Amino acid sequence: MTFKDVAKRNLRKSIYLLVFMFFFVILVAISIGYYLGIDPTIIFIPALLIAIFSSVGGYWGADTLVMSITKAKIITPEENPQLHNLVDEMAIASGIKKPKVAIVQDTAPNAFATGRDEDHALIAFTTGILEVMDREQLQGVIAHEMAHIKNRDTLVGVIATVSAGLIAVLVDFSWRLAFSSRGGKKGGNPLLLLGAVIAIILAPVAAMLIKAAITRKREELADASAVAFTRNPAGLRRALEALRDDSSVVTSDNKSVAHLYIESPLVKSKLSSWFDTHPPIQDRIDLLTSMES
Amino acid sequence: MESLYLVFAGLGVFLVIFAVLFNKLRVANISVNEALAQIDVQLKRRADLIPNLVETVKGYAAHESVTFTKVTEARSATMKATTFDDKVSSDNMLTGALRGLLAISENYPDLKASANFLALQEELSTTENKIAFARQYYNDSVLVANSLVTTIPTNMFAGVAGVKLRDFYAVENEADRKLPDVKF
Repeated sequence: MTFKDVAKRNLRKSIYLLVFMFFFVILVAISIGYYLGIDPTIIFIPALLIAIFSSVGGYWGADTLVMSITKAKIITPEENPQLHNLVDEMAIASGIKKPKVAIVQDTAPNAFATGRDEDHALIAFTTGILEVMDREQLQGVIAHEMAHIKNRDTLVGVIATVSAGLIAVLVDFSWRLAFSSRGGKKGGNPLLLLGAVIAIILAPVAAMLIKAAITRKREELADASAVAFTRNPAGLRRALEALRDDSSVVTSDNKSVAHLYIESPLVKSKLSSWFDTHPPIQDRIDLLTSMES
Repeated sequence: MESLYLVFAGLGVFLVIFAVLFNKLRVANISVNEALAQIDVQLKRRADLIPNLVETVKGYAAHESVTFTKVTEARSATMKATTFDDKVSSDNMLTGALRGLLAISENYPDLKASANFLALQEELSTTENKIAFARQYYNDSVLVANSLVTTIPTNMFAGVAGVKLRDFYAVENEADRKLPDVKF
């Protein structure tokens, strides 16, 4: 499989998931409306507005917000010439602007990219990753992060977060309404009513699953694009192997920024889960190994 | 009367399609030019690094004059190159000469240990990488532009848009095709 095939496949799957998410939100809204016996648009529109406002704020302030959560500090080319050189190289290979370079004081090896577009992009590295990785490995990591920026994964992430947040708000609304308007105009087909209740209960879980599936796809896409930039799958593969063999976890880990990191910074377990923001690291290594031959 | 509307509608649709395809060709052509300019920037950077590098190596290995001459000659050839073909061939010559220079530095432990040389090596290896990536990006851009020029439907407007087939940036020998392997 070439990196181009992988990129195409992942892009297609991401789009399917986003479309699915869109219809899912509408379905939940209709279910709630049916359950409460009211016009779905009455709750749908305010919920949509809340979800959009809260996430747009996060989107526009993504770089500054993430920097303050992770305590990342921007560094100059003089402070670390080699790191800046590597970022320069990947900026040329990917054809995008050079992002800002930052350091997070943490011994666990990891890295992440953020920013809503090329102009506000930032790549941050933990001090741990700079210690354990050689030039070739770091180049692979940077290529992966550059791919996130070029593929506009922050945007896809925002859409996924908006939809998941929207469903949470919708469900929250409907419970409040259900309790405050006891004895309201409920009725109709009991089977449909039961279906509506189940849909409302399961909706937040389902939304989280879809969101995790979307970010997992974006990780695979970023791995494939990284190879397109470096033409050297071995660099990223060796970097992921180093991350796999390291059991330390980023201390300032925070669920809200977990999907940004090259490797999930949350507690590592051997079991892969449908709630994971990243594909199992061994699967990623295997895919890269298959590209090497 | 109705047929007149049809003619206008058809004309409108044609103009929109024409504009979209025309712009697609032009944008592809511009990105090829941009990519080519990036290669020039990086080649210039490398040329600027060389005198410094040669001086540093001379300090430890003064008698390796043949290698120095080769590098200096190759460098001045790249500075003089104006046509695309000249640039490509002089660039390849310089890459080979630099490899020779770095190879002799292996024989001088004092040189290899000097901070100045280490800093220069990092600069040189990143510049070599940047040149390689700039070529790669250029070739990718050429691939896109050339596909547009030769495939339907954009090929019909390539002449009007003034977009021609572009040359790939070929690397001379098979060893150079790989990422430059500057080992320290």
